[in-house]
Amino acid sequence: MTTPRHPNFLASKLAQEMRLALVVLAVLALVPVAVSSPYWLGVLIVSMYFAMLSMGWNLLAGYTGQFSLAPAAFAMLGGYTTALLAWHWKVPLWIGLPMALVVPGLIGLVLGRIVLRLSGPYVALTTLSFAEIVRLVIYNSIDFTRGDQGLNVPALIDSRVGNYYLFVGALTVITVGVFLLLRAPTGRFLLAIRDDEIGAASRGIDVVRAKTVAFFISCAICGIAGGLYGTFAQLVSPELGLIAQTGIVIAMVVIGGMGTLVGPLIGAVLVYVASELLRDAGNVQMIVFALLVIVFARFFREGLWGLARQAIARRRSATRTAASGV
Amino acid sequence: MALLEIRAVAKRFGGLRAVDGVDVDVAEGELLGLIGPNGSGKTTLLNVLSGHMVADAGQVRLDGRSVLGLGPTALTRLGVLRMFQLTRVFNRVSAFDNLIVCGLALGLDQGRAEQRALDLLGELKLTHVMHLDGGQLSGGQKKLLEFGTCFMVPPRIALLDEPFAAVHPTMKETMATFIRRRSADGQTFILVSHDMPVVVELCPRAVCMNAGKVLADGPTQRVLNDAAVIEAYLGEDAQAAEAEHGRA
Amino acid sequence: MTGTPLLALDLFVNGLIIGLFYALMAVGLTMIFGILKIVNFAHGEFYMIGAYTYTLISLGLGVSPWLALPVAAASGALLGWATERWLMRPLYTGYGSWGLMKDEYAVVVTFGLSLLLINLVDKVVGPYPVRGPALSDVTRVALGPFMLSGQKLITAGVAIVLLIGLALFIKRSLWGRQVQAVAQNRLGASIAGIDTARATSIIFMASGVLAALAGALLAPIINPAPDVGIFPAVKSYVIVVIGGMGSIPGSIVAALALGVLESFGAVYLSYDYRDTFGLVLLILVLLFRPQGLFGERAREV
Repeated sequence: MTTPRHPNFLASKLAQEMRLALVVLAVLALVPVAVSSPYWLGVLIVSMYFAMLSMGWNLLAGYTGQFSLAPAAFAMLGGYTTALLAWHWKVPLWIGLPMALVVPGLIGLVLGRIVLRLSGPYVALTTLSFAEIVRLVIYNSIDFTRGDQGLNVPALIDSRVGNYYLFVGALTVITVGVFLLLRAPTGRFLLAIRDDEIGAASRGIDVVRAKTVAFFISCAICGIAGGLYGTFAQLVSPELGLIAQTGIVIAMVVIGGMGTLVGPLIGAVLVYVASELLRDAGNVQMIVFALLVIVFARFFREGLWGLARQAIARRRSATRTAASGV
Repeated sequence: MALLEIRAVAKRFGGLRAVDGVDVDVAEGELLGLIGPNGSGKTTLLNVLSGHMVADAGQVRLDGRSVLGLGPTALTRLGVLRMFQLTRVFNRVSAFDNLIVCGLALGLDQGRAEQRALDLLGELKLTHVMHLDGGQLSGGQKKLLEFGTCFMVPPRIALLDEPFAAVHPTMKETMATFIRRRSADGQTFILVSHDMPVVVELCPRAVCMNAGKVLADGPTQRVLNDAAVIEAYLGEDAQAAEAEHGRA
Repeated sequence: MTGTPLLALDLFVNGLIIGLFYALMAVGLTMIFGILKIVNFAHGEFYMIGAYTYTLISLGLGVSPWLALPVAAASGALLGWATERWLMRPLYTGYGSWGLMKDEYAVVVTFGLSLLLINLVDKVVGPYPVRGPALSDVTRVALGPFMLSGQKLITAGVAIVLLIGLALFIKRSLWGRQVQAVAQNRLGASIAGIDTARATSIIFMASGVLAALAGALLAPIINPAPDVGIFPAVKSYVIVVIGGMGSIPGSIVAALALGVLESFGAVYLSYDYRDTFGLVLLILVLLFRPQGLFGERAREV
């Protein structure tokens, strides 16, 4: 038997999105060949930081239907995990960075358990409250965290290009990891839970386990992104966890395409690079993105990638009609 | 030993005894019709059997093992598959993937799940819409799809709650044929339906509930001719007529 | 004057006053939840817009702050109306056909609106805080044994009048009754001939007015800046959940309780962490009584 194919089958959809994601990553990897400006490499590094957060958030919000408003808070937690370990106990980065994955992941697991029985707006409200608590605690625990002064973090790699490839590598690992997760049965269970939690439980899906896994992985991704960002910027501050940062992540995912693998990637890079360009054109970037979020949420759920997919499908059917010929 | 033993099960909502001491045995391979007027407690009983509600009292055994208090996930994994009165499909994945996810959840591997999904789609005459998202299907197609998801792995017992309600006659026939065929192969069903001709035709045995109690249990034809059953249904008609009258 | 009981009483009264403002915010939020079952994540920006309108009208045109107050209310009403008309109405006129579910759409779109308003104000007015004019210059009024500033007293009075007015509006007026009907059963209400769209619109406008007035009244204390609405909004989320989503009396009680809790906590527990008490309370409530928030957790099938 051969596996049936259709662009709307999950397996085909995922494979197509993964191919495109690899193209985007390859293009990112080739950029330093053409661009040597440290400024623009820096812009792309930050955009890749946001791409990781977007991937993590999308796994929860786009694929599992759990509207967390805490991705930036988990990035902050990751950044501070590495920074505090290095600052207080001189823990080297090769231990400190993995901890930026583990600690936020575990905290996310606990948070996931708390919101397990909640639905819809309650998840958003609880995670938002959690995000604010964490930020306020870090902001106010001046003796331990130096408050809004922030903490210095040792650099992992000194050169700009080296850092650039560190981020390309990390983003690739995360993208492939999320792809593998989504391709596995767990990925489909997440989609089922997103569409109908009671229905999913009534078909034998372990909803608790699947949601917990999603929370752990999503928060771990945000955490390591924050950890890496800290070593790149050599500074972490409570500003990493501002609600506005979460707003940017949501904007990126909604514009790129929620609930798709490649959407967050495209969204993050385009939005961040465009925001640098718009900054020169009078600082209107956030206004434009906020408008785009509203327009996309209202009219094009699958974002830019959804629009592109429709265009591809239309062209395919057009060529097919042409080929079958009159 | 019966496959499913229901003993003195009771469930109340506040002062209302929705299920009030029900005893029913379902043997392996049986196709049992569960009938009764609206509000007689059929759906509540199914909710208890499928783990969506916890009974206040009584005992439920599946293959001799007590399953009362288990949740829907655990019961599904033991082979109690449920089709809902209000259709439940996964709206934003294709019909094909709707079936696959249910197979994977019960431990099939991807290849086996695809094979089963294709077979079921063919048998239920849904192949031509398999690429559409669950939410894009018509009401009847959704019912058929949800019906199909119960059979990705042959269940120990399938609980069908009004599968034929508001379904086009051709699709109804497809489903009835499916049920007949599986029943002949030894599949166990409980079928809740208001559609008496179908119940008479499909189910050799019927249980009629009224006000949370079992009114009659036996060969379908005899249950339908039971004086108490006729009384219960007529009572409903009389009430309906009265209500109609009152409104006019 | 420095005895402990008097300090406690002083803290209590101050807490109640803060609680009144929380109530103005939370009541609007809870009404929106009651009628649409969604959370408006741009609620803090209604407050921010109110504070700015009041301040800019009063300072820019040189008119009395008392005249700027109704203008601020009008700005809130307009914002509420526009939000409902263009962003929320699709929710109940067939969102089912879209890919996004109701909850997801509501979160994304109101969050987007919040971002939009913050950044618009940041661009148009500027990122720096503006000092809001006071309604009263009197710095100390003796009210029995308490010393309160004139501004605080006036604003508390206005807040009480507003809350009572709202209660009367909902309970007594025809529109208010229609709103109640729609909140209980949208379909039933529409069958009974109630214009559900108008009822929802009224709720958004009322909610906008309350939030904008809360912002205007507090403008001299908070000094409006583009992101000034985030914190009161977070507070009102906490209140609305603790008070039982959709319950107006519940949220008023919870608002007053949170105000008092924070007032005492800031002195007896920790000043730095005073803003986290409510958030911790929220998570505790959700941890131990999640079903209490939904009423009985029915498994609908």
